[in-house]
Amino acid sequence: MNFTGKVLLADDEPHIRKFIGLVLKRLGQPAIFEAANGQEAVAQFKLHHPDLVLLDVNMPVMDGVQALAQIREADPEAVVIMLTSLTNRQTVEQCAALGALDYVRKDMPRDEMIAHLGQIVEDCFGTGDAAVAPAGNSVP
Amino acid sequence: MNPSAESSKPDLQGRKVLIVDDDRLNLRILAGILKPEGFVVIEAESGEKALAAYEEFRPDLVLLDVVMAGINGFETCRKLKERYGDELAPVIFITAKAEADDIVQGLAVGGVDYLPKPFRTREALARLRVHLQNRLLNEQQRKLVTQLSAANAAKNKLLGMVAHDLRNPLASVRGLAEFLRDDGQAGKLTADQIDLVENIYTVSQSMLEMVNELLDVSVIEAGELKIQPKPVALAALLKQSVTLNNINAAKKGSHIELRIDGLPPHLNIDGPKIKQVIDNLLSNAIKFSPPNSCVMLEAGRRQSDCTVAVLDNGPGIPAGEKDKLFKDFGRTSVTPTAGEKSTGLGLAICRRIVEAHGGVIRADNRAGGGCTFTFSLPEAA
Repeated sequence: MNFTGKVLLADDEPHIRKFIGLVLKRLGQPAIFEAANGQEAVAQFKLHHPDLVLLDVNMPVMDGVQALAQIREADPEAVVIMLTSLTNRQTVEQCAALGALDYVRKDMPRDEMIAHLGQIVEDCFGTGDAAVAPAGNSVP
Repeated sequence: MNPSAESSKPDLQGRKVLIVDDDRLNLRILAGILKPEGFVVIEAESGEKALAAYEEFRPDLVLLDVVMAGINGFETCRKLKERYGDELAPVIFITAKAEADDIVQGLAVGGVDYLPKPFRTREALARLRVHLQNRLLNEQQRKLVTQLSAANAAKNKLLGMVAHDLRNPLASVRGLAEFLRDDGQAGKLTADQIDLVENIYTVSQSMLEMVNELLDVSVIEAGELKIQPKPVALAALLKQSVTLNNINAAKKGSHIELRIDGLPPHLNIDGPKIKQVIDNLLSNAIKFSPPNSCVMLEAGRRQSDCTVAVLDNGPGIPAGEKDKLFKDFGRTSVTPTAGEKSTGLGLAICRRIVEAHGGVIRADNRAGGGCTFTFSLPEAA
């Protein structure tokens, strides 16, 4: 798989961003933008128009549910995957109703997460060449 | 027995006694017995008035005449019981006719005892004290139970919060260790370095399992275990579980063999929860069996139930420790054979999941050695 799209990764915990960032790099050479809360996520989204948004639910300043609503308002086509620590059914359903495509549990074993995100990327963007061209200013 | 010595017991002083009798003379006699002993006496001349007086004064004990105009003593007692349930103060009937039938009827509607007329002072007081003391103990116990359940709820909440907050960092430690171990990006590691990273990975993995179990317990204890039954192919679930657990088993040179005999194609169960039970039983079987063992997983049908059994080659359950097995933190004296960890919570979680499905889980030592853990799931559930 060679995914080269733009990904917005929003989570208030730096170690999670590190970990999921590494998972994403297993899918190809994505351009990754990071945000540490919902407000930053919305701002980053409007600035970079990422192909894929990974959005934590519990974040300070603005939580993921609110951020999801604003992102989908800015772009009704936005592909948003929620990052959850617990499968709180209510939250998951709420996010699905707001247009989130899927959710990923942050405590998933690494290989499962690679497979899961890989599947999502493949479903949305195809296996490689069809992926959107990367933007320049990626955060390593 | 010395009544004056007994009356010096401080805890019964000032206790409120409601006397109900349509005979003023009886009221006066009883009040005359009770007041000098330090009881607070409330009088009512009918069943109707007694109901009102009970509501107003909340007595600690009721002396209730049986034969009265208006609603009689039994009816009054029934009404009181209806209104106050288990909170109702002990009701002692005053009865002239001590026929067995009357008394039985009185006890059946919620009375605790009876006093035959004419009253014998010492006997009356002795019975009263016994019931008041019981009442007091009951109250204390109820208070204690309330306090304990509040403390338990607080503990569960804390447990849940701690476990929840530990989970993400642990998952990251585990995941990052994996990337360090086999991601080219981080550079090539020496054998010693790989060994260290391997340790970090293994420890964080087992900590994560423990934290997840704590979280499960806090969820279950808070009454939030919700079973969401859907038609599930149990056979496929078992196969998945065997494949997964065989990876760990292989590290000890052991393996799991699956034998399925006549399962229905679909069973209405909560798949992920039942898989958790199967995983738990299998990982226990591997943990407690010596290296190079063969663990059997057998599934079949017994009458209207589906049964799943895990047969290990461990030392079995020591005599007298069986009741510990399915309790929280109920570790037995048996230890894993290769230094594996256990929280003592896994089986307690399994029991609750199986019971929530209307099933039963049990453990039996086999005559030839080893232990069999069996759980059943009703097909109709």
